[in-house]
Amino acid sequence: MSKAERREVQERQRAAKLLQKQQKPPGAPVTTGPPSKGTQGNDPPSTPKPNKAVFSGQHKRSGSIYEPTTPGRGTFAQNADDAQSRKSRGLMIFSHFSLPKQLGQGVKGDIHPAIVRLALLFSEFKICGANARCIATLTAFKTVIQDYTTPEHNTLSRHLMTHLSPQISYLVSARPMSVSMGNAIRQLKLEISKADIDRVEQEVKDELCQQIDNYIRDRIIVADEVIEELAGQKIKDGDVILTYAKSSVVEKVLLNAHQEGKKFSVIVIDSQPLLEGKALLTSLTSTNPPIPCTYTFLSAISSVMTEVTTVLVGAHSICANGAVYSRSGTALVAMIAKNHNVPVVVCCETYKFSDSVVLDAFGKNELAPQKFDRRSDAALASPSSNLEILNPLYDLTPPKCITAVVTEVGLIPPSSVSSIPMALGRISI
Amino acid sequence: MAGTHAEEHATPAIFTVYKSYQRHLANEQISTPLAAILALTDLIEFSDAGTMFELVKALNEGAETLKSKTANPISLNAGCELFIAFVTLFPHEFASFIDLKKELIRQGRRYATEALTYRRKIAELALDFIKDGSVILTHSYSRVVMQTLLLAHERKRISVFVTEARPRGLGQVILGCFLHVNSIECLICARIKTAEALRAAGIPATVVLDSAVAYVMDKVDFVLVGSEAVVESGGLINAVGSNQIAIIARAANKPFYALAESYKFHRLFPLSQYDLPSHNARLFSFPSPSQASAPSEHTARTESIQSLSHEMSAPNTQPINTGKITQEQISQENPDVDYTRPDLISLVFSDVGSLTPEGVSQYLVGMFAG
Repeated sequence: MSKAERREVQERQRAAKLLQKQQKPPGAPVTTGPPSKGTQGNDPPSTPKPNKAVFSGQHKRSGSIYEPTTPGRGTFAQNADDAQSRKSRGLMIFSHFSLPKQLGQGVKGDIHPAIVRLALLFSEFKICGANARCIATLTAFKTVIQDYTTPEHNTLSRHLMTHLSPQISYLVSARPMSVSMGNAIRQLKLEISKADIDRVEQEVKDELCQQIDNYIRDRIIVADEVIEELAGQKIKDGDVILTYAKSSVVEKVLLNAHQEGKKFSVIVIDSQPLLEGKALLTSLTSTNPPIPCTYTFLSAISSVMTEVTTVLVGAHSICANGAVYSRSGTALVAMIAKNHNVPVVVCCETYKFSDSVVLDAFGKNELAPQKFDRRSDAALASPSSNLEILNPLYDLTPPKCITAVVTEVGLIPPSSVSSIPMALGRISI
Repeated sequence: MAGTHAEEHATPAIFTVYKSYQRHLANEQISTPLAAILALTDLIEFSDAGTMFELVKALNEGAETLKSKTANPISLNAGCELFIAFVTLFPHEFASFIDLKKELIRQGRRYATEALTYRRKIAELALDFIKDGSVILTHSYSRVVMQTLLLAHERKRISVFVTEARPRGLGQVILGCFLHVNSIECLICARIKTAEALRAAGIPATVVLDSAVAYVMDKVDFVLVGSEAVVESGGLINAVGSNQIAIIARAANKPFYALAESYKFHRLFPLSQYDLPSHNARLFSFPSPSQASAPSEHTARTESIQSLSHEMSAPNTQPINTGKITQEQISQENPDVDYTRPDLISLVFSDVGSLTPEGVSQYLVGMFAG
């Protein structure tokens, strides 16, 4: 090691020390974004000591890619080398996408073990998909409610709410709340507030759990069965159905139609980084006899679209203006289908309807955790790399690209989405 | 099978729902959905159902009978659906079931009488959109369009292009009774009917070939069509050719107006032409070559289509092999109705108001989803 090199190393170490000192006061251990939340200790480079990695001179990417450029980081940008500051600046416009938090950071109050466990599963993407997350959350809340006792001089209808809010915040710190969860929790809170203060606590708790069960049954399970039937009617012999990534509803629709003896084939379109289509492909081909499937990446979409009769996709949520918020890539699929005059059918339960109006996917989105990026070690960790990774999880399909939305109340055009909650006689969705 | 219920418990006059339906349909003013509603009302009268469940079951069976006897059941379905939904949701606040039945019959008949005034209402609504000196393009024959045009003629100067509307216009004569029974809309020679009726009323009218619509479109101020059914997407099901007129109107930036009585609103969501209930494998099937020298089939999809077309077009193979194609064959291999996408429609005039296609779908969602 030459003198100059040694000096460089020393200087870097000094800078790192200085930075650590500066950052310590504001909060507990400094995190570097999704890697620490997303990987929680099974991915060595991004575990507890990320700052060292950033300044170790090897330009390990270790999360600095996702670093939000908050004002507090100003000193960091000045101290760091050119490449680092460029990176930070490059991602500034996306810094509002689910600001990475440490699990449970800033959450006050007792967290129930069921919630801690669930949060971990969420952050690890072990439980993924709007329906699965909603059911898991509600089931965990049932445990929380059963284990809850109202403190003295308090009523359940008022205190249970304050007991639940830190649990919800904890879950949100693992992964931003999905619209489905938001709607379900709003409904639960409404039920809690309606609880009679004169009744026996256990009775009220049992009733709440019963209501949660009913919600899961009516709005998710039975709704899915109705959607299966309605969407199944649109699949005819000889059809070629195209689907993107994996939606639990679409999977059920296809399997159900296959079981009814319809002869159709499926094109599964998939894309990085989550590669969810693989799971769908496995489940579609493991039937007896298997459904004829084609698996390809998003880049091949325009080549296969000419063969397709119907596009069938799921949704994370649907906005009041009929725009579909779904796995990123869906918008592209829908637009290409529209261009080829292929009907685009979205399967979505009404409990996923959101009363907000979203105009693009930049306002609200989420970034895929780094662990899903398979190219990380080889291509991106090289010292010369100025490459930034941005993997938004969702995108927004404009309503004009959607032919029909299949819900449990029937097939509706996207323009009528806003009139459904009223038709169901609900004030809140 | 279906409808036996209705026939079993028939009165000495031997009531069948289908006969009743045809009897009502014979009235020039009664359209298919209304005839269906009246036939089902008659069915209530003759039915000896003792409970609501039995009654609804009988009605569903009656609707099935009617459906099975018509080739193009779309507008008929709309009427049946409306009436059965009405019966199911009717408040049960009567002393006896007999009273309830009487009330249902009274309501059904009253609705039918009231529905006859809808066309006048629609004509009044549409009138505001017809300017003095307008040139209008209309398609096939529709009573509500006729009434609107005649009303407009009383107050404004209009001239009308009428399309030839094949196969209904021409195929009608050749197919004889086949279509005649099925759809009241296809009265003898629709095109001549519309044009002649208009001329008789003193409205300048010219018959335009279906293939000349694009030629004439630049001279037209707007397009006015009737409808077989208005569906949940806000789209329109109407005599075949409406879709291409709508596409041409859009290309020429001309408004495309549809007229539809609210009993034609139908809870159906076709994704494409081939998703219509009236579509079957016989339509546009290719005649199977008589020799088994068919080219090797690549996919399961073409295979199934070919095998289907083989079955369906079997009776037609003979004339084709001799090289002669008859008009009858053409009519049989072509659809009666087509589906017009909502984004091609400017407004739908109905007795519940002038609605945008989105408004139609919201109205339908509110009516049935609630």
